[in-house]
Amino acid sequence: MRTVKTIGRYLSVAAVLAVVMLPMYWVVICSFKTVPELTSPTPTFWPKTFTLEHYTRLFEQVPFARYFLNSVYVALAATGITLVLASLAAYSVYRCRYRGRELLYRTFISIYIFPRVLLIIPLYVAFTGLGIIDTLLALVIVNVTIVAPFSVWMLRAFFVGVPLELEDAALVDGASRLQVLVRVFLPLSAPGLAALALNSFLMCWTEYLFAVAFLISDTNKTLPVGMAHFLQQYFIDWGLLMSSSVIIAIPPILLFGLAGRWFIKGLTAGAIK
Amino acid sequence: MQKDPYFGYLLILPLLVWALLTLIYPLVETIRLSVLDVGYVGTPGAFAGVSNYVRILAGGEFWRTLRVSVTWTALNVAFQVLLALVAALVLNQEFRGHEFVRTWIILPWLFPSIVLATMGKWVLDPTLGVVNYLLLSSGLVERPISFLGSPGIALYAVTAVNVWRWFPFFTVIILAALQTIPRELGEAADMDGAGYFARLWHVELPTISEVLKVVILIASLWAINIFDAIWLLTRGGPIYKTTTLTILIYYKAFQEYRISQAATISLVMFVILLAYGVGYLRRVMKEEVAISA
Repeated sequence: MRTVKTIGRYLSVAAVLAVVMLPMYWVVICSFKTVPELTSPTPTFWPKTFTLEHYTRLFEQVPFARYFLNSVYVALAATGITLVLASLAAYSVYRCRYRGRELLYRTFISIYIFPRVLLIIPLYVAFTGLGIIDTLLALVIVNVTIVAPFSVWMLRAFFVGVPLELEDAALVDGASRLQVLVRVFLPLSAPGLAALALNSFLMCWTEYLFAVAFLISDTNKTLPVGMAHFLQQYFIDWGLLMSSSVIIAIPPILLFGLAGRWFIKGLTAGAIK
Repeated sequence: MQKDPYFGYLLILPLLVWALLTLIYPLVETIRLSVLDVGYVGTPGAFAGVSNYVRILAGGEFWRTLRVSVTWTALNVAFQVLLALVAALVLNQEFRGHEFVRTWIILPWLFPSIVLATMGKWVLDPTLGVVNYLLLSSGLVERPISFLGSPGIALYAVTAVNVWRWFPFFTVIILAALQTIPRELGEAADMDGAGYFARLWHVELPTISEVLKVVILIASLWAINIFDAIWLLTRGGPIYKTTTLTILIYYKAFQEYRISQAATISLVMFVILLAYGVGYLRRVMKEEVAISA
């Protein structure tokens, strides 16, 4: 009876893992197949011959390195700005007491109900007026807007728990409020800031809607927009899609490996309380 | 709690200004555009009063699209939450490597939608796709199915692909809620000889019901806003069967160049979402999701 239960347990876990892993496995092995094998009507479940041609083609035939750097730039810049804006705002909402705090907080959270697509048109017009349409700056700005409310929410799990005495002690020692925040409070909340940075990076890295609407020139495209060109309506370059899918997935995996623990804490503590 | 009020205001000010410029201004501008008759982005338009609203609400296009949106959202929420619940219950068991698996199960959520679209198009392709190959070779079907190209199937196919990306995200949240169940509670139920489903009904589900309500709210708001997965997989086709409100707004603005109509539809959508969000919080949630400090 006991062994039956154990086997059942492992089988169920294996089933869940299969659902999640098999599609990824499929893309990864297909990225190493030669073109004839890739486009054969009888798929092979392990490549007969391994080739790196789809990876080398990425850098020879398309400005893939350029797309990659653009994505990194947008994600890092937006994350940096979000980190400053959201941590200051979260400190204000969770650690300060003043009139209208509750209202402000609810407004920030309900901003999430905004249909994102509503932002495209007016921002497109405004960015055109400012002369920053088709620049990475435009994308940085809108990414911060999207990421910030959720970031404030996420910091709650980390900000509420820090004991007040530490701040009070520093205040008594004559430090200014801003010094206390920057030198005492924020270092104590480092895991929260790491979770926020990871979340922000991921959201910018995967962002497609605004990137496709705001970026026009090929040299300004981010990875998802550049990759979408391999997926034309009448011609699909499967090889390039497979290899670029593998590469675009690597930075999120690495970063999640570094800060995933805290990210999940921030995510779940907010929902569970 | 810091009691210096100005410091609190001062700290929230930067984000407030940012939100004012990039959220409130666009909202006001959208309202302005919706009462004008603007075609191409950035061109001037004559005053049109409520004619855009009348045209949208009186035409069949909007209602057809709303229906698709509601179906899409309901399908996505149902399957995402159900699968997430099952996966969370499975992974909540003790097994070797459980810590690792419970964290990394989120993997599909880390990838951009273009990866999702690549994967979906590739495995579902009528001639090269592995799904059709398996169906054909096992004799379940006689001719390959064009999952993303058939009007009757496309919405379900896109849903399946999208669910694959999102259910692990909610699995992680539900798992965390399941972990709050005291071990003794489960053991007590087992001692009483409660079967698996009795235990599920009396121990697990009551504990996570509040979290499930939050998850359903988040899942529905996110599903209805999804653009990229649908756009990359089907562009709203075939014959508008996967055209949700988000797709329609984008299409109107950037393919048909009817900016004012797009603005009008997005405002109507905003009002619907707001009503849904507020209604859900009032009716379903005992407490606000927006918990204060």
